[in-house]
Amino acid sequence: MSSNHKVLSGLGVGLEAVAAEVFRVAPAKPLPIPANHTGDKEAEMRKVRSAVDAVSSQLQELGAKSEETTREIFEALEMILQDEALFEQAVEQIDQGFEAGTAFVNAVETFAELLAGDETFEERIADIRDLGRRVAGHVHGISLGLDLPNTGSYVLVGEDFSPADTAQFTDAVVGVVTIAGGPTSHTAIICRSRSIPAVVSCQGAKDLLSGQLVLVDPVGDRVVVGADLSSATRALSFVSKSQEPLVSVRANIGSLEDAVTAATSAAKGVGLFRTELLYLSSKQKPSLQQQIDSYTEILAACPEGPIVVRTIDAGSDKPVPFLNMPHEENPALGVRGFRLIKEHRDFITEQLKAIESARAKTGRDVWVMAPMIASYQEAVEFAELARSLGEYKVGIMIETPGIISAIKHLGGKLDFVSVGTNDLSQYLFAADRMHSQLGALMNHWQPGLISALADIANLSAMAGIHSGVCGESASDPAFSIVLAGLGFNSVSASPSQVGQVRSALMSVDKDQAMLVSKAALEGLSAEQSKSLALEKLASFEG
Amino acid sequence: MSTISAQVVIEDPIGFHARPAGQIVKLVKESGLEVRIGKPSEKMVKANSPLSLMALKGKSGETLVVEIDTEDQGVADGIVSQIQEFLKG
Repeated sequence: MSSNHKVLSGLGVGLEAVAAEVFRVAPAKPLPIPANHTGDKEAEMRKVRSAVDAVSSQLQELGAKSEETTREIFEALEMILQDEALFEQAVEQIDQGFEAGTAFVNAVETFAELLAGDETFEERIADIRDLGRRVAGHVHGISLGLDLPNTGSYVLVGEDFSPADTAQFTDAVVGVVTIAGGPTSHTAIICRSRSIPAVVSCQGAKDLLSGQLVLVDPVGDRVVVGADLSSATRALSFVSKSQEPLVSVRANIGSLEDAVTAATSAAKGVGLFRTELLYLSSKQKPSLQQQIDSYTEILAACPEGPIVVRTIDAGSDKPVPFLNMPHEENPALGVRGFRLIKEHRDFITEQLKAIESARAKTGRDVWVMAPMIASYQEAVEFAELARSLGEYKVGIMIETPGIISAIKHLGGKLDFVSVGTNDLSQYLFAADRMHSQLGALMNHWQPGLISALADIANLSAMAGIHSGVCGESASDPAFSIVLAGLGFNSVSASPSQVGQVRSALMSVDKDQAMLVSKAALEGLSAEQSKSLALEKLASFEG
Repeated sequence: MSTISAQVVIEDPIGFHARPAGQIVKLVKESGLEVRIGKPSEKMVKANSPLSLMALKGKSGETLVVEIDTEDQGVADGIVSQIQEFLKG
């Protein structure tokens, strides 16, 4: 590559590269300062009406392009926007002399103040204030939407993108680069699911300008200014050396559809069955029989092999409607996962009973595990409860740094542990996994995470406990080799990644995997750990 | 026109939040009738306004008064029972 190609590093999302023109999304322009109108009240009222209608139809368009949950949000917002009481309040403001935009913002503020102080409405208040800004923006001809081109091919460059932003992505968006955000940010998740090549957490992108040609090179974790596809980093190609992967590769599922998809993949069993979906959407607690039926149906559909079922992982940020979950200042550090046992022992007991009945009915090899275990006592409490209710294998999730040292005492008490690397990273680095400025710490190549994983694998092996990894990191083929080298016995990936991860794990033997993990452990930064591991992998090819 | 009034109870553990407010507004708009809701002996608000309904800040367990401008008891009963259903969460 010629030296005039500037390289901007970040975190890649996806395996395909793309080269196209930059479309720079500017930060939203500030609204004009509050002002009075010139005396024509009727004209101001008409301006409010037409701006409200315009924003309404924008919301309708956005809703029509979205999947169901997002569509419901847009419908609710539209109903609030069209609220006559809001319009009447705006008219009062116009009567007091304010121009249309200011009047509407003030009217929204009146309601925001009425609703304030009630935790149920906190998010709604933010939503309606955003509506106020959009209407005022429309009155003043300031666009707060993205205004993306519908045709052509562009790499969208911006700070980070919200759900309302990503819902507006047109087919012309062929690549995405964000200055902030991380691998678990909303932008990353959407780009992964829509197969849009992306590089997130790319600080250097702040200087990119519309019209510049860039190469989005996710495999190389970089954006290259002025380069074309010939400079793209090739995804590692794995040449199979054996018929079976070094450690077994399972699939992560959350619903019956996932189970069916996973069964068509090469996955050997399920390494993480998230059970929240069965509960988050129901207003009343499903009966024992309903739960048994759901589990039976899903277990029967899973790919052959063991099925690891995680008990309810809810918290005040993802509350289950029929369990009382009061608002918490820090939901990630609050009463969540197995900590619900204090208030809701009956519910967790019933869930375990339902899983046992489904296990007996289907004859499947079921393992159960509890999330958010932080102490030896909690691990033993769960193990004793589960063993008193069923004949499944019993284990825990490793997500909190505090539980790691207890693994050595859990031999004979637990059959297995499974590491959730997303939450483990969040708690190891004290970094909110959704925080747009802290994405770089969520990179699974961070030396601090790899070293913690090495301890977990060692302690589990010494205690005679099966160890697996079911976090996002296990879906990265190269990283799965590191995990096998560290001594983990199984990995579990998203169904779409199972094939890639299996190929990676069929391309190396145990000694090679250990060399790769040793190389990764020598890095002083995420970038260095990754490049040392990839260099070691490449050295086997010759 | 006469007004029929009835009482409902907020059974939703989260209280009277955005979702039931939206459901009630939709129902009221479809009925074409004027419907007002409020706490007993407090100011009633029009039930076609989601923001006004949310601003009642009804808590779980509280009773609300529903007033419907109609002479048709059957229609009124239907609306009241649906509102009660929405408030179960």
